[in-house]
Amino acid sequence: MVDFTLSDPDRDILSGVAEEAKASEKYARHYDAHEDEILPKAFVEAAAFPSLLERMRRRPSDDTPSVIMQMLIRIEREAHNGVPLRQAPSALGNAALGAAGTPAQQKRWGHLMLAMSITEPGAGSDTKAIQTTAVLDGDEWVLNGDKIFVTNGVRCHGTIVWATVSKAAGRGGIKSFLVLKGTPGFELVRKEKKLGIRSSDTAAYAFRDCRIPRDHLIGGDERVPQSADEGSASYKGVLKTFNITRPTVAAGGIGKALGAFRYARDRLAKEGIAVDWDKGPHDRTSTEQTLLELEADIEAATLTVLRAAWLAARGEPNNLEASVAKAKGGELCRSGPQRAMELLGAMSLSHDHPVEQFLRDGRITDIYEGTGQIQRLVIARAILGYSSAELS
Amino acid sequence: MDFARGESDEIIAETIGRFAADELRPRLREFEAARTVGESVRERFAALGFEALDIAEEAGGAGLGLLARVRTNRLLAEADAGAALALDRFAPAIYVIEAFGGVEPLKSLGMNLGQSDLRFALVTDPGAGDVAGVRVAGHVAWIPAAPADVLVGLGPQGAWVLKDGFAFEPVRGAALHAAGASAVRFDGTPILAWHDPMRAARALARIRIYYASLIWGVLSDAAGFSRSYALDRVAFGKPIAHHQALAFLIVDMYVAVARLGLLIEDAAMAIDAGEGRAVGAAAAAFVDAIEASRFVGPNGVQILGGHGFMRDFPVEKAMRDCRALGLLAGGCDSAREDAGAGLAATISERIAA
Repeated sequence: MVDFTLSDPDRDILSGVAEEAKASEKYARHYDAHEDEILPKAFVEAAAFPSLLERMRRRPSDDTPSVIMQMLIRIEREAHNGVPLRQAPSALGNAALGAAGTPAQQKRWGHLMLAMSITEPGAGSDTKAIQTTAVLDGDEWVLNGDKIFVTNGVRCHGTIVWATVSKAAGRGGIKSFLVLKGTPGFELVRKEKKLGIRSSDTAAYAFRDCRIPRDHLIGGDERVPQSADEGSASYKGVLKTFNITRPTVAAGGIGKALGAFRYARDRLAKEGIAVDWDKGPHDRTSTEQTLLELEADIEAATLTVLRAAWLAARGEPNNLEASVAKAKGGELCRSGPQRAMELLGAMSLSHDHPVEQFLRDGRITDIYEGTGQIQRLVIARAILGYSSAELS
Repeated sequence: MDFARGESDEIIAETIGRFAADELRPRLREFEAARTVGESVRERFAALGFEALDIAEEAGGAGLGLLARVRTNRLLAEADAGAALALDRFAPAIYVIEAFGGVEPLKSLGMNLGQSDLRFALVTDPGAGDVAGVRVAGHVAWIPAAPADVLVGLGPQGAWVLKDGFAFEPVRGAALHAAGASAVRFDGTPILAWHDPMRAARALARIRIYYASLIWGVLSDAAGFSRSYALDRVAFGKPIAHHQALAFLIVDMYVAVARLGLLIEDAAMAIDAGEGRAVGAAAAAFVDAIEASRFVGPNGVQILGGHGFMRDFPVEKAMRDCRALGLLAGGCDSAREDAGAGLAATISERIAA
């Protein structure tokens, strides 16, 4: 029996997160309109709120698993049109370092903020098509290639870079390397201009004969696979990060839909359009029906995320459930804000209201960390019993 | 039903298409940033002679009808729907005046469209027409328009025209940037006002088809652009268009755009011919445009993946623009009601016959 009942301390955490998110709403439009600016490490308002780490540390140990709380916190945060009051000290590259780095590497670089450089101009979902190369030359790796869509790529201290040491080995030839900012041959080419999530910086990188020390290979496994069948521990280790990040990304999209829903519902109520939830299906107005369906969709999508997180908390495989959550969340973040905008009409297009930003910001959910199509492929393989070679 | 296009249709399409390709498409991000297309582009468009394409000849227009307008709108919106709005000084506000009083009232007020620089803007005012000739007041949070000289209000019961007593305040918005964006506050005595629900419905039908045709253009371009991208982009060893998940999506997008075009042209022809089914047909086409925009707009972004989310490509703009256009003219739900009523009336007529 899955039980998602929250304890009082957990409820307090979520309401604290909501208060903090509300305090940042005044900055949201500024950073949406001024994409060239980088968020400060902390806004002055941050002092009034304990950090998430502190909040979680104060919880009794037998409360809801922290990975489930992470999802609920993400949903609640994203349901407000705000920006982070304080920047997280880590990024996706840190998760990769934690999953695949040696203990010595984790100790050495764990305190840095590390981005993750995977996508290339010609390789997105198809990661085995990566063209960035890493060649061992004496005691140094020499990296050459281009990376795009690097989240936190401007503000980070360094990045984990996916590169191939053997194109003939296909996916097995891909390894990950740590490259620190300031390394000769590592250039921050530009900050990307995006449809949404503009307060989050996204960078493009170039690596041109970029030399890094030999021990910057994450995991330290230098073996060059002789064929595509020979797996790379480094590659597989890095992929592990996605079984938690997929539900987390889905939670972000669900939060955007929830924010749009709440705003539309409350705004309509303020204008005297009260929704009677007890009406039967034949008596409901179109507005009531839309709100009802939207709320049900949000609830269902949230449950898919919580299930994937619950499995992760128990240390059980969650590959299928993580993709279900991501596919469902990706769908909802498109449809939810759109329906909310239709309830509010053309006024929702004005920047005086947050709903259009929920749509723009949420739109990425179905794209990054595996598009909706890729998630469906993962789900199909799982439920049909096919390998990636058999179904692609 | 006649799907053929005449020689004059082809000439208009070629001229407008060339203008859109040369003047609008290359500069769409520039127009977005400037929140206008600028005077020189407006002048070059006006010089083509298509500015008042569907306005009656006696009012100074070309009198070519709504069908010509929707085809023109489609071509302009394929490049930039915001620019298409910016280039049209009259429509869709002028449709209200035409529906209620024809052009004579305008002439009597010294407004000959062909010989003036007047700009018209339209707002939805639910109270319009309740009591003709009295003071009107209200506030509209967002319209895709820069300040205008004449403000027209339309509601289910009637309409009004203000020459004074209104103020435009620039606002930031999500889409259609080249058209400008304003909040409008009005409080004044109309120079013209009417109470006539039937004429209000006819005016709204033209307005819906006008916006639907812009959606048609936006979606046509988004579907076409993403289709081309899917043929070029290679993943997992073949063009992404060769993967069924995307191939079927591309097909569904194509079908959505194609059927939308048919519904819009059919409704425009019905309006031009003064057919009784025109109001319902226009409402149905507008509903279809909105539903197609919900589907095609975001999927244009999806096919490009991360690239679609970047402003280096036009599909994110298409998603925003079509979403915005579908919220105008009262939006989807009221159109659905009118489409249903129109359908019911058509069925009743058939039963009676």
